[in-house]
Amino acid sequence: MSETFLFEGAPVPIRDGQSLAAALTEAGERVFRTTESGAGRGVFCGMGVCQDCLVTVDGRPNQRACMTLARPGMTVARQEPRPALKAPPETPKSAERLSPSVLVIGGGAGGLTAAIEARKGGADVLLLDERKVPGGQYYKQAALPDMEPLDAQQEDGRALVRAAQEAGVVILSGVAVWGAFEGPEIMAASENRVYAITPRALIVATGAYERPAMIRGWDLPGVMTVGAAQTLWRSYHTLPGKRVALFGNGPLTAQVALELSRGGAEIVYLGERAPSPLRRMGAALRMMRHDWPLAQKGLGMIAALMRRGIAVRHDARPVAIEALPDGLQIAIQRGGRRETVVADAVCMNFGFQPQNEILRLLGVRMRYDPNFDQLRPDRSDHMGTSASGVYAIGDCCGLGGAPAACDEGIIAGRAAAGLSGSGDGPVRQQLAAHRRFQDALWSVYAAPPPRLEDVEADVLVCRCEAVTKAALDASLDAGSTDIGAVKRATRVGMGRCQGRYCAPALAGYMARRTGADPQDLSFFAPRVPIKPVDIGTLVAAETLIPDESGDDSAA
Amino acid sequence: MTAPPDLLVIGGGITGQAAALAAADRGAKVEIVDFGRNAGSAANAGSLHVQMQSRFLRLNPHLADNLESSLPLYLSAVTAWEALDVRLGGVELTREGGLMLAETPAQMAFLEQKAERETAKGLDVEILGQNALRRIAPYLGAEIIGGELCRNEGKLNPLLANNRMSDALTAAGVVIHRDRIDEIVDGPVPEAHGARAYRAKRLLVAAAWGAGSMLRTVGLTIPTEPEPLHMNITEAGAYEIHHLVQHAERSITLKQFRSGQVVIGGGWPATRGAGDSVPGVRLRSLAGNVALAGRIAPGITGLRVLRTWAGYNTPVDGKATIGPVHPTSGVFLALPGDAGYTLGPIVGQTAAALALGWEPPLDPEPYAPTRWAAAA
Ligand SMILES: Cc1cc2nc3c(=O)[nH]c(=O)nc-3n(C[C@H](O)[C@H](O)[C@H](O)COP(=O)(O)OP(=O)(O)OC[C@H]3O[C@@H](n4cnc5c(N)ncnc54)[C@H](O)[C@@H]3O)c2cc1C
Ligand SMILES: Cc1cc2nc3c(=O)[nH]c(=O)nc-3n(C[C@H](O)[C@H](O)[C@H](O)COP(=O)(O)OP(=O)(O)OC[C@H]3O[C@@H](n4cnc5c(N)ncnc54)[C@H](O)[C@@H]3O)c2cc1C
Ligand code: FES
Repeated sequence: MSETFLFEGAPVPIRDGQSLAAALTEAGERVFRTTESGAGRGVFCGMGVCQDCLVTVDGRPNQRACMTLARPGMTVARQEPRPALKAPPETPKSAERLSPSVLVIGGGAGGLTAAIEARKGGADVLLLDERKVPGGQYYKQAALPDMEPLDAQQEDGRALVRAAQEAGVVILSGVAVWGAFEGPEIMAASENRVYAITPRALIVATGAYERPAMIRGWDLPGVMTVGAAQTLWRSYHTLPGKRVALFGNGPLTAQVALELSRGGAEIVYLGERAPSPLRRMGAALRMMRHDWPLAQKGLGMIAALMRRGIAVRHDARPVAIEALPDGLQIAIQRGGRRETVVADAVCMNFGFQPQNEILRLLGVRMRYDPNFDQLRPDRSDHMGTSASGVYAIGDCCGLGGAPAACDEGIIAGRAAAGLSGSGDGPVRQQLAAHRRFQDALWSVYAAPPPRLEDVEADVLVCRCEAVTKAALDASLDAGSTDIGAVKRATRVGMGRCQGRYCAPALAGYMARRTGADPQDLSFFAPRVPIKPVDIGTLVAAETLIPDESGDDSAA
Repeated sequence: MTAPPDLLVIGGGITGQAAALAAADRGAKVEIVDFGRNAGSAANAGSLHVQMQSRFLRLNPHLADNLESSLPLYLSAVTAWEALDVRLGGVELTREGGLMLAETPAQMAFLEQKAERETAKGLDVEILGQNALRRIAPYLGAEIIGGELCRNEGKLNPLLANNRMSDALTAAGVVIHRDRIDEIVDGPVPEAHGARAYRAKRLLVAAAWGAGSMLRTVGLTIPTEPEPLHMNITEAGAYEIHHLVQHAERSITLKQFRSGQVVIGGGWPATRGAGDSVPGVRLRSLAGNVALAGRIAPGITGLRVLRTWAGYNTPVDGKATIGPVHPTSGVFLALPGDAGYTLGPIVGQTAAALALGWEPPLDPEPYAPTRWAAAA
């Protein structure tokens, strides 16, 4: 408890391997960076995607607080919109070329299972994960290995990670993939090392990120995704705030409400977009039939919430958030009524978007799913994609849940090790059952997804570049027909998150406006780096590239 | 059937757009037909080049004379952009000069020679030693021992320019068709054929990489092979790099937009896209280009690279091609050659003036397409 770092000159205590974001949140700091217009931004996604938690650490600007370990003695400052051009202290990175027979990107349920299975099949397996600790979204592990697991879910995750290690999977944590090139050649980097990896087979298991509702105030500090709050709590034992309001669609929101309540938060509102399951008994019964233990888990969760006096308010969605002196005031539409509530933190999850950038960069054939406004890869029975030697599993192919991700991991792991075929029968049956369960689950929770059609004119669609709905409409009305043209006209999607929030919303909106069928081209063209990459990484990467011509620019 | 327009422009990049706007501003009825794919103008970096680019000299030593003889064109090009900046209502154009840097005495000697040739052609250039250079460009790295400053050079924000240009064209009543032209037919009322046929009193071909195949049908053989090039952009930092920065020997252009983002390019290669798809990014170009930028201006290394892209440049023979296919032809060409975004407006405006029988803003004689007819 005695260890501290400095934030804006004042000491902030650190405990339990907290991230900077967790330690600052615990200290009541909400504003991590300011935008061009002077607005404050803070933790939003909690998983390194949104880039709104940027701070300057020891003179190095543009560091994501949610992905940076808080270390004693650090000097941390709020990120200004345009930091001075001053070379940060030099920390040269080393560089390494690797060629495992199987490379797994992502250490969640899917990736870990695939890695174990490929290893069992005799392959040498390397697994990378951007987080400091493997486990992914479902198993969200504590930041420190000696922290007591919070529940069975975390305990199972710990066992799975251990199984991977014992099987001989080489796990590199804190290593983010930033580029994928033909080959495939995968470029990745940690804080002090750069990797070029050319595996024989590649398994992409990069999971999903969360879809927000683009409502007035969704960019305010203190407003975050449900997953961000869950990570603060499960990984760092940090509450997102004292009074917490949660809104979403699907079981995750209620689960996190329960976890936060157990952690000591006051749940001031738990809103679910879908109507009560009592009004959808058919689907609810189907779900129970497909996987009684899982369904039972869900029922247990509702009962536990009720015991804590937390009611799930169905048919409820947030419509606007406003910062008041005593907290964030949320206006809620519940059925035909308006309600308001005040909270310190507002959490939202309105579905998931697959992290499919690596697949798109590798030219994998994708198909648009209009129900989810997202691209999904075409896959063979063995989880193979249209790119030779490239497999895709789990939520990066569209949300399927952890059990299905594990099943897909087994199938892909075996295939990548050259074992596919006869032994897959039982897993395949299990996968089919898990998919049927998911289908039934989502018919219980079926609700209209948030759509740009419903966003008010002056509300931001692109957080990074502060592009409003009205600006997008103006560009579309002026005749922009492809998403690239709208981007060039409005700057939508040109910011640091690289269009992760605005692009799917805009692609769907444009498709519905024109009646055209969206395809891969309807989204922003995939380009490296898949996340902003620091120049030091590129300097080190250069040393890994064979010098082919001597002349740097001979075309 | 309605009367054919005075001018049909094929290709809606900066060259074709500037031609159309100039013509419409003087009362002509103008239409543009554009394929809407892979315009260099939509991918470019907004450098206003004037001094001879070392990269071009290095890659095309045999074309050095072409480049040198075009220097006066570059000077008028910048003047044309300044007028366009006003006409379009501001495109963040600045003319704070361009630097070409040296790290070795040999590179300094090269710059000195180059500066002499450029002064003779009327450019405002000066050789600076390390200290003088550091005073005006404190952001430069320690390895830089001197450089050449060209005061005629500058930069603009191409996104803004392209947006303002489309607005201006719409306001001026220029009709834009989305189509790909496969064939053109010369004659008293020349025609262009795509998914449909277009007729106009005059045709102006400003189709860059698409021009070559189209012009074969009227008897010209022009090499308009696209050159796929790589670009990088960083997140924003304080606006401190005011110059357009290049290197005497290595491929780089580095500059900062007013938004604070640093744009790094300079002709590193990209890969050809299949069919009409966009060109692809090479790892080698990304790492090499950005590492070099970091060495030249170490202050940018606190910023991260946000994105890369690639686009098609159409260098032709390094020299502009402006004017009618032959003296009595109704088909006119506007191909800027190298540094086409800089040259696009002047080239387009000159070609439009010739097509409509107006006084051209410069003597087009040195750029006449006849050199291609002779080659055919
Ligand atoms: C925020 C969130 C919270 C969730 N919480 C729950 C829950 O509590 N209960 C529940 O039943 N389901 C939950 N789900 C759904 C469930 O987690 C998933 O269905 C399951 O985890 C899918 O496993 P996966 O292996 O596909 O992906 P994940 O578990 O998401 O794992 C993907 C991994 O890939 C890594 N990764 C991604 N990109 C890169 C890159 N470029 N370089 C390196 N590593 C990378 C990530 O760091 C991550 O660890 C949640 C999903 C999300 C997105
Ligand atoms: C990455 C990159 C960076 C660059 N940076 C700079 C810079 O900083 N400064 C500079 O001066 N120059 C730069 N250039 C060069 C410059 O972009 C181009 O030379 C310039 O844009 C050419 O303009 P244009 O109008 O002649 O042709 P383009 O902008 O290429 O436009 C040609 C148009 O014609 C259309 N077309 C082609 N064929 C047909 C057909 N058959 N029918 C109908 N339409 C057709 C195309 O779809 C396209 O829209 C750069 C180029 C690249 C690729
Ligand atoms: S909260 Fe850190 S990147 Fe989104």
